[in-house]
Amino acid sequence: MSFLNPLLLAGVGAISVPVLIHLLNRSRVRRVAWAAMRFLHISVERNQRRMNVEDWLLLALRCLLLALLALALARPTFQNAAAVLRGRTAVTGVVILDNSYSMGMTDGVQSRFARAKKFSETIIDAMPGNSATAIWLASDVVRGLVLEPTRDLNLARKTLREATLSDRSTRLFPAVRDAVEALRRRGSSRKEIYLLTDGQAGGWEELSETIKLLNEVKRDIHLNLILISDREEHNLGVSDLRLGSSLTPVDQSLRFEVQVTNFGHDDARGVAVRLAVDNDPPSDQTVFDIIPAGAAKNVSLFTKLRTEGYHAVTAEITGDRLAADDRRTLVVAATRRLRVLLVDGHPSRDALENETFYLRNALLPVDSTAVNDFYIEPVVITPTELAGTRVDNFPVVVLANVSDFSQATATALDQYVRRGGGLIVFPGNLVNARFYNEELANRYGLLPATLGPLMEAADDEHAFHLQAKAYDHPLVTLWNDPAAGTLSSARFLKAFRLQPIGRKEVRVVTRFADNAAAIVERTVGQGRVVMFASTANSAWNDLPVRPAFVPLLHRTLGALLEQRNKALNIAVGDRFTLRTSEETLGKDALITHGEKLRQYRRIELVENQPVLQSEEIDLAGTYEVTIQTEPPVKLKFAAQADPRESRLDALTEGQLTQLGSVATVVHWQPELAWKQSGPANTGSWEIWRVLAWIALVVAVTETVLGQIFSEPK
Amino acid sequence: MAQEASAQLLDPAAIARAEALGILAREIVEGFMVGENKSPFHGFSIEFSQHREYSPGDDIRHLDWKVLGRTDRYYLKQYEQETNYVAHILLDGSESMKYGSGKLTKFQYAKVMAACLAYVVLLQRDAVSLNIFDTGTRTYIPRTGNRDMIFEIAARLAAFEPTGGTGISQVLHELAIQTRRRGIVILISDFFDDESKILEGIRHLRFSGHEVIVFQVLDPHELEFPFQGMVEFAGLEKTPKLLTRPSEIRKSYLAELENFLSALRLGCEKNHCHYTLVNTANSLHEVLSGYLAFRRRTSAR
Repeated sequence: MSFLNPLLLAGVGAISVPVLIHLLNRSRVRRVAWAAMRFLHISVERNQRRMNVEDWLLLALRCLLLALLALALARPTFQNAAAVLRGRTAVTGVVILDNSYSMGMTDGVQSRFARAKKFSETIIDAMPGNSATAIWLASDVVRGLVLEPTRDLNLARKTLREATLSDRSTRLFPAVRDAVEALRRRGSSRKEIYLLTDGQAGGWEELSETIKLLNEVKRDIHLNLILISDREEHNLGVSDLRLGSSLTPVDQSLRFEVQVTNFGHDDARGVAVRLAVDNDPPSDQTVFDIIPAGAAKNVSLFTKLRTEGYHAVTAEITGDRLAADDRRTLVVAATRRLRVLLVDGHPSRDALENETFYLRNALLPVDSTAVNDFYIEPVVITPTELAGTRVDNFPVVVLANVSDFSQATATALDQYVRRGGGLIVFPGNLVNARFYNEELANRYGLLPATLGPLMEAADDEHAFHLQAKAYDHPLVTLWNDPAAGTLSSARFLKAFRLQPIGRKEVRVVTRFADNAAAIVERTVGQGRVVMFASTANSAWNDLPVRPAFVPLLHRTLGALLEQRNKALNIAVGDRFTLRTSEETLGKDALITHGEKLRQYRRIELVENQPVLQSEEIDLAGTYEVTIQTEPPVKLKFAAQADPRESRLDALTEGQLTQLGSVATVVHWQPELAWKQSGPANTGSWEIWRVLAWIALVVAVTETVLGQIFSEPK
Repeated sequence: MAQEASAQLLDPAAIARAEALGILAREIVEGFMVGENKSPFHGFSIEFSQHREYSPGDDIRHLDWKVLGRTDRYYLKQYEQETNYVAHILLDGSESMKYGSGKLTKFQYAKVMAACLAYVVLLQRDAVSLNIFDTGTRTYIPRTGNRDMIFEIAARLAAFEPTGGTGISQVLHELAIQTRRRGIVILISDFFDDESKILEGIRHLRFSGHEVIVFQVLDPHELEFPFQGMVEFAGLEKTPKLLTRPSEIRKSYLAELENFLSALRLGCEKNHCHYTLVNTANSLHEVLSGYLAFRRRTSAR
């Protein structure tokens, strides 16, 4: 026997109350001097024995009543076979449905998730009367469809039927832990967790913690693990899709890197991969002759974006039984012309003397006749013009030897970067280092490094160079291949010693040979800033005249724009967050995902920035956003599922044995009847109602007897 | 001092009613003084009673000559003499009489009653004696016809404090033996004693020719036993304490009391005594006037 509210057992001590009252009453005796003792003696002698018996009987009944009430409140339960004979106990349960995308695996007729939903109803049907259950969905998050156990089992069934699959991955420990916590709060003799999952090993990374937890609570809470899986040997999935090109101009051929993984246990042959833009027919495709079991293969596929704006590029393979990982979508923002704002800190009549001369030419590596058709359009302004320029019109701004600028301009530049803008900073002899360090770096947190002391080489022979190898930043890894040329040939006579700010978002792109940072970058909000240690012209170094300068600059632009694209491609489970312009503040945005999702979100101020933020994204694929301005602003973003969920590895026999020691593990079969195989027959018997009824009978008996006994005799 | 005590004891209302009604003895008793009470002895009184036929040996002085002249038959005139009587007031002064649930204890009530009766008796030029007893005589005033003695009687009554146990029968036997002259014995007590012995004493008195009037004085709580809750009863005559819930034994108690009262009442009736149960909750003048009215009705037969 155990007690659900053992603390209330202390109430048994209340049986001393009638005894105390009896003793107190004795001490509050009325004393009377009496003459007619003779009759009194006779009467008392005749009645005393009876009165004593009545007194003891009433006292015993009162003590029994209090003891019964205390016991009933403590809610004793019996867990034995005899209890079963007396009838099954009501269940307080939590039904947890794994709704990760692997549950979408079908047997050709029905998905695992559909089977799990159906079997959950069977479980609920088998619950004894007065049972209560909660309905939760578990993937890498736990969602309570019916958060607390309800006795309205029809509601539970209806909720189950309406439950939907997500594109999330699996992590079941939080769901089990939360269910245990939820059931701990409930006063019930029979607490059951019904977890219906496909038993993917990946969802049980915290298996030991789960077993430990279940072991701790096994006296009170029982886990029923229902494994809804069929032996599936094949699964192919598009495990990665990324933009290979640095920029996304319209009508230019863009390279996309596609990775296809064979998650199955057998080799896959003749796997076709297609790349399509929006809802157009595939623009490129390839066929893998063979993808060995467990291996991944990459391929570059090309496409062109025909219009300016947001496009969903989808890589897709031929469908298999798990459809969720057969396609992967990336949203890219195509631009017809990439306008780059070059702020020249020292404009000069002599073009070669300009700070931006080499920059402009590197950005336009074409004949002068083709300049107007080229997709990059550099726009050069002076520092004084910067204040009056709307920087949002330029995806990238380059500061070249700009001394300093006003606070308003600094603030505008800061917000521009945080909204997704790209900023490149080249120092020079005019730079006000104190302004850069104190204002831009420290106050605004805009720069990745502060400007340290000036490093100077005495002459050309003592010029310093960039590192020659072991590049690890994606921006410069190209030069790990000697065939791509070199960065180290450039000579530097002067450069600021950059002192990177110690934050995780700050990364050194490349260093000088003496290990001092030469290029540093950081993400700021949704934008990115790249900072060079030396000038953009040939005043302090000859990098601008080196062949590597053009690809370096273009890759830098690509890195800055990639940051903007990154905001448009999130992982399932993340929130879509987009910093928008001031005009959109307070406007509503409609976010849709085909027919499956339609939600309105208001653009609100977050850290002084208008921000559009969605709820956590559960579904992979393309989302369309319409910000309700005049005219409406339309954009897209995409969510990608975690490819690890595509793995077919199931819990091993050893792991299942471990789980079996603390839970009932049931392998689902089409003919499985829960009443026979489930733990319903091992229930406990709660007797508080019986005790309450007995207490009521005792109370009534005591009242009646008290009334009879107190009548004059 | 004596006058103060008498003023305290003599209930004016009770006395007024008692004077108006007087005490008429149920039986004719012997007395020294001629009054309203009739002598039980015939032949020498001044008041004609009846005729009877002459028989040889009778005193011819009592022959009714007129009847002889008219009818030639010999009849003797019989007379009865109105005479005074002695009222012996016996008041129970035992400790059980100290009980009282209200303002008055039974003894206080009985004292007033005794004083009233003594006064009325003296007012009718009869004689009265007072005996306050418990297990024996404690205070005694010999018979007296002097009205001024009422103050002495009242003083003795006022000064008495009950202390001892009860022994009624012994006192009654002593009175029956010591008093040769027949009279009226007025016995005022709660009679919390052995009723058979009491009745024996009464029989003895009756055998001695006394008329016995019994006033049983009881408190309303003794008659109704209305107690609630847990009560510890401490006996007034050194009996052990008793803790009980009286409400649960009320019926039993009342039945016992009723048995006792019935036995006493029936015993009195058998011995031709007047028995009156006096509830101290009732006013004394109502009790006395009620009794005297009853007595006058029954003596007028």
